[in-house]
Amino acid sequence: MMQQAKAFYEKYKVIILIVLAAVLAILPFVVKKTLYIRYLCNIMMYATLAGSLNAINGYSGQFCLGQAGFFAIGAYTGAALAKNFGISFWPLLIVGGLMAALVGFIVSLPTLRLSGIYLSIVTLGASEIIRIIAQTWEPVTGGSMGIKQIPYPEFFGVDMFKPQNYYYIFLGLLILFLFVTNRVLKSRVGRAWMSIREDEIASKSLGVETSRYKSTNFMYGAFWAGVIGVAYAPFVNYIEASQFTTDTGFNVLAMVVLGGQGTLAGPILGSVVVTVLTEALRFLESWRYVIYALLIIFMMWVRPQGLMGASNSMLAGGKIKVKEEKKKGGEAK
Amino acid sequence: MEYILNQLINGICQGSIYALMAIGYSVIVGVVGMVTFTYGEIMMIGAFSSYYIFTGLSNNLPLAILGAFAGSFIIGSIVYKLCYERFFNAPRHISLLCTIGISMLIKNLAQIVFGPDTKPVLNVIDNTTFTLNLFGANLNIRLLQIVVIVLVIVFAVALTLFFNKTKWGVMLRAVSQNKDASYLMGISVKRTALLGNCIGCGFGGIAGILLALYYGSVSATMGASYSTKAFAASVLGGLVDIRFSALGGLCIGIIENMGIIFTSATFRDVFAFAFLILILIIRPQGFVSKKGARV
Amino acid sequence: MKKRVLALTLTFALAASVLAGCGGDKEEETKAPETQAAGEEGTQAADETQAAGDDATQAPAADSGESKGVIKLGGLAPLTGQYAEYGTGFDIGFHKAIEEINAAGGVNGYTFEIEIEDTQSDPVNSSTMATKFAEDDEVMALLGDFSSSAAKSTVQICDSYGILQLSPTASASDYAAMSPNFFGIMGRQDVEAPFLAKYVLKEYLGVQKIAVIRVDSDWGKSCYDNFIAQADKEGLEVTVETYATGEKDFSSLITKMQAENPDVLVVMDQGDPVADIFNQADAAGWEIKHVALGPGTSEQVVKRLNDKDNLIVTSPFFFDPDDAELTAWAEWFQSEAGFAPTIHPACAYDCVYLIAEAVKTIDGEVTRENLRDALANLPEYTGVTGAIKFEADGDIKRNYMICGIEGGEWKVLEGFEFGAAGF
Repeated sequence: MMQQAKAFYEKYKVIILIVLAAVLAILPFVVKKTLYIRYLCNIMMYATLAGSLNAINGYSGQFCLGQAGFFAIGAYTGAALAKNFGISFWPLLIVGGLMAALVGFIVSLPTLRLSGIYLSIVTLGASEIIRIIAQTWEPVTGGSMGIKQIPYPEFFGVDMFKPQNYYYIFLGLLILFLFVTNRVLKSRVGRAWMSIREDEIASKSLGVETSRYKSTNFMYGAFWAGVIGVAYAPFVNYIEASQFTTDTGFNVLAMVVLGGQGTLAGPILGSVVVTVLTEALRFLESWRYVIYALLIIFMMWVRPQGLMGASNSMLAGGKIKVKEEKKKGGEAK
Repeated sequence: MEYILNQLINGICQGSIYALMAIGYSVIVGVVGMVTFTYGEIMMIGAFSSYYIFTGLSNNLPLAILGAFAGSFIIGSIVYKLCYERFFNAPRHISLLCTIGISMLIKNLAQIVFGPDTKPVLNVIDNTTFTLNLFGANLNIRLLQIVVIVLVIVFAVALTLFFNKTKWGVMLRAVSQNKDASYLMGISVKRTALLGNCIGCGFGGIAGILLALYYGSVSATMGASYSTKAFAASVLGGLVDIRFSALGGLCIGIIENMGIIFTSATFRDVFAFAFLILILIIRPQGFVSKKGARV
Repeated sequence: MKKRVLALTLTFALAASVLAGCGGDKEEETKAPETQAAGEEGTQAADETQAAGDDATQAPAADSGESKGVIKLGGLAPLTGQYAEYGTGFDIGFHKAIEEINAAGGVNGYTFEIEIEDTQSDPVNSSTMATKFAEDDEVMALLGDFSSSAAKSTVQICDSYGILQLSPTASASDYAAMSPNFFGIMGRQDVEAPFLAKYVLKEYLGVQKIAVIRVDSDWGKSCYDNFIAQADKEGLEVTVETYATGEKDFSSLITKMQAENPDVLVVMDQGDPVADIFNQADAAGWEIKHVALGPGTSEQVVKRLNDKDNLIVTSPFFFDPDDAELTAWAEWFQSEAGFAPTIHPACAYDCVYLIAEAVKTIDGEVTRENLRDALANLPEYTGVTGAIKFEADGDIKRNYMICGIEGGEWKVLEGFEFGAAGF
């Protein structure tokens, strides 16, 4: 069934994508409740953020845990410049992205010699350091007071406060992100990333400059996290260091892994699942996160490679020998 | 001078708790071969086990330590079943996400079961302070600090003996070094890994009770920041080596407290992580002398 | 492959069920105004634990006969996460007040109901849930959120929907002034902190060298800024140290402060660290006078302190052990929540009463607009947390007294009249 769906998708790819985009574009006119539009905004924002993490974890196989830090860089750059210097939102998207990419580059330097868990803890530590700097650097980040009443983007006099209008910013960013990432992945750079993911030594021996590509990969992921951070700041209208804790990072990581690492659609699906679950479970009150956590574990058991899991990569289920172990009935290796 | 030495004592004391955490953590990582983000909650369980023993039974420290060890040991086996056993040959991020899930589960469940408020752990050990005169400087050492440091040393030595002198210890080390080879040697890898995980968690529980004693309180959310500290300390020590992990924990504790001399405590984690990153730039394998880590 | 299909189907089924659930909600919402009973049902579904309270509401509505309807309130509270303790307190405080008001027959023919949503005091969640309530035309006011940062993030929502937000605890100095729709009853720090400097430290204790340990949050910062301005005027010598939210180990800060050799140790925090810091200072063998700004006469602090009799706080209210009503309140809270009350649930409790008071002054139908105006112009009201009278920007200035602990119970050392002239 899945194959048929896939064949169908390949055949009518353009039409399907156009229809999908059209449906998403008219959604704010159809859905009357602002609350649901806000949910959609949250979903798309987290989808892009998760996508940016996926660009690192899913495609070059580096295990970054510090996406919240890059996100914070973007949010603070955007908010501080818009608030203090009145710079328009649109150029700030680029500025925030570049700032995050710069930080991504700095973070990537010590990680070039590291791999696996060592790299993870460095990114985690960097994210915490960024947060604490944001918490204390008063003249720029407002310190513990945060930055409030961040100006909304201007767009020909449209009231951007309304989630119905802000929706299009997130939608546009998500589509742009998917489009650009798709192109990048199909280019020389993307192939280099994936070769590093599959086998770093082999790709090195084939002439791939692994250090350079690993570094660009970090910068690319950080760039998009920064861009979405800039868009996030006016949307919540108030930013403060406590919004960028490691928990935020783990939450985004959960979206990537649940959706399927190393696929473009995975993080989107992950974001949908996480947002829908956390909102749908509200009726459980304080039991909400208990059940949510159980569902996450359950999903990992049922489908460890993620909902959209790619089947042709290191990250996929091909390596998971759950069934074979059962057949052997004895000790696992 | 006096002030710096007193601060050093604080650092050593906190560092030894970190060291115990790091020891437990590196046992888990070494034997199971996968990192965990549930460790903070394991410590919290240990702390709460001791809290209920203190309030319900008596101010009996050995009994509380036993209780904390047992409580965390049991939770450890559940974590093993849910997060590791199934995913030994799967990519690392899968079991990692499972541990994040379990951590969320335990934390939120604890808030419901134990209550969301912070609970006091007081007067288990007398508030006695010894003043030591060293070259004219007055050093204040608390009885509690001595107890903490002594306990950490005792447990670290006990674990080292267990690893080197017992059959199970040798099996654990073998699994930690090479799972395939130990499997061929007839070691039950799964059972050994389960035991290793539980022992590591048990040590986490003991670290939890020391935290409760030292800080005078327990709460359901107490584990959050210590999980990353234990992780950082054990990475510093090369992830799988007990002695170097202990050294890593001690270093982080001392660095943090020394840093506070110059700035405020808000920067505590900056010192810890900046130190870690610095060391990793110089020595990508942490303190451990040989290139032994394969994680 | 099958699993993949299964997983996808599950996901969509889940999404569909949620949408269906939302649809159900809508139906309920439209039904609600038709009959009183439907409204009651909604409450029961929303909160089963309050079933007893609902019974109480039904009774007076039935016999008074002139019932005008239900005033629905939207509660924003951190029921889960690191502030769960306070969110639980809010939950209990809100429901307790509503239960009492409804049991007494409501106000002006109105009964009250509240729906509380969990926000974890996170700005994204808080503004989403604020949107939810603001869009529901029946919700007349928002109560919450716990932290200033979450409360501040809803400013645009409250303004564009014209709904008031009354926060029990948000006390950053710039919170209430942000919008005419924002109200806060915690009391701003530009009164309490100078009061501490001038009257408690300078006049009551007569100390000179002061060591301040404060939390590094918006609240802690505005406390300290106001405090130091007055302390400079009084000529006090102040050394300050900060720590991040969630800190547990204060031994190094204590050692640092000890080296300064001050006369008094002042802690500025509202939550758990107050007791932790004093306990750790005791454990370090440091004999010094303890003063705290923020916790008020919290029962929890008393319970958790090691050396109870060595603490002075400023407080706008006081659980008088001789006042049967207040003691009953504290005991009732303890039994309901399983832990001793802080000032937070008491503020939450007062918030509901303030809304009720405002409704009392409205003739005719209650709208969001006239409820806001009525609240802003409310004459002084005395709740469990003391006298409340809103200033022009929606904040209150409280009067403070100096309290201490004797034999495990709070005691007023100096009443409101002490130094009241100054501020």
